[in-house]
Amino acid sequence: MIHFWVDYVGPFSDRRPKLAKGGVPRIESVDEGRGALVARVSRARLFKGSVAVVGALAGAAVGGAELAASAASGGSAATDREILTYGLLIERLQAAFYAAALAGGQLTGEARQFAQVVGAEERAHVKYLSAALGASAGASPHFNFGDSATDPAKFIATAISLEETGLGVYNGQAVSLTPKTLAAAARIVSVEARHAAWARALAGKDPAPVAVDVPIPVAQAKQTFEPFIVQ
Amino acid sequence: MPGSDPLFLKVDDFDVDGAVREAFERMPQHTRAGFLGRTVSAGAAALGAVAVSPALASAKPYSSDITILNFALSLEYLQASFYTEAEQIGALRGALAHQAHVVGMHERAHVKAFKQLLGPAAIKEPTFNFHGVTENPDAFRSTAVAFEDLATAAYKEQAPLIKSKSYLAGALAIHSVEARHAAWIRRLAGFLPAAHAFDDPLSDAKVVQIVNSTHFVTLKDPQTSMEAKPKFTG
Repeated sequence: MIHFWVDYVGPFSDRRPKLAKGGVPRIESVDEGRGALVARVSRARLFKGSVAVVGALAGAAVGGAELAASAASGGSAATDREILTYGLLIERLQAAFYAAALAGGQLTGEARQFAQVVGAEERAHVKYLSAALGASAGASPHFNFGDSATDPAKFIATAISLEETGLGVYNGQAVSLTPKTLAAAARIVSVEARHAAWARALAGKDPAPVAVDVPIPVAQAKQTFEPFIVQ
Repeated sequence: MPGSDPLFLKVDDFDVDGAVREAFERMPQHTRAGFLGRTVSAGAAALGAVAVSPALASAKPYSSDITILNFALSLEYLQASFYTEAEQIGALRGALAHQAHVVGMHERAHVKAFKQLLGPAAIKEPTFNFHGVTENPDAFRSTAVAFEDLATAAYKEQAPLIKSKSYLAGALAIHSVEARHAAWIRRLAGFLPAAHAFDDPLSDAKVVQIVNSTHFVTLKDPQTSMEAKPKFTG
């Protein structure tokens, strides 16, 4: 193999599970959230080379501030908490969706594998965000997906909708996070983007339809999520 | 390296000192305080991420942001050139050819957006030699997986360091597209598109080290280098 590849295998070798014969990848173990968010984001190296990130953010004019869940802008612990709380709702909803889809027993092949892999990752996100939020995480609402989860054709369409909406919310809210929390959240955001891409591929769509991902306002996202939330 | 095994690299044929690293190290010199005042709006619009407030458009850019945007531009140059060359050579077929076409358009759009955003502070495009990996579907696939996972990790590391909200929004909007590209090509290469619940960032130093190790970057500024060659007149 080329020189590049040998070097490349170092940092990313654990990310390259091989497909099993027949085109269906094996399920590899999904890493769990490694400690609470607060612990992870305190790593000093995140600030390597940056002088006054926090100070610069405080009071900065916010492009797209209308996308923020909170009226407060510029980054604060309270805003972080508000955004992560909404992120936790999204992750809980997604985890429940894939659990319901698998419980329905009608998924086969790569769709089933997608639900297994992505479902496990959403559960890891739930665990991670719950730990970060502590007691204020609260109890999960109940969800009801009906045949949107269990009917194989509806499953893929709903998965695309949930993943795209979740990603759009994260991208819209991330600009309002403090840098520390952004660093932690960004590790989830790109995984959600991978989920959205995979779901689109399963539907025969281009995994990346446009050159930039457009944020989705929370008010718009609620229209996607709320029909599945049991009041 | 025409005529030889496309997967065989002869190190001494290339700039082993690392043109990419040099290009990256030069970035701070390109800082032009104040020039961005007039281009923020257009650039942010090109990035397609946010509606920029009038207050933001008049804000001074941070030199550290310029450095980060140039770092991103370097990675986009590399990727755009890779996909463009692969498409022009035409050795790819089917789903892989389609991926190269669509992703190539995205990477070229990213280059254009960053160049527009940076204006005169934008670093020049280096020249590339992909040593045959754009002519061989298997090598193309492996390299594309590497590039896209690398770009995703690089953006993830840099995003929290960006001070301007507008630039941050743009970088985030591209970060997730790079992750989509990674998932897309990983699936075509037979890897899980989303293999882990959490994606790790990668430092700029490590990214540069990996890119340098490819020797894909041959000249940081071809015209200057040609002119700089000593003339032997007899």
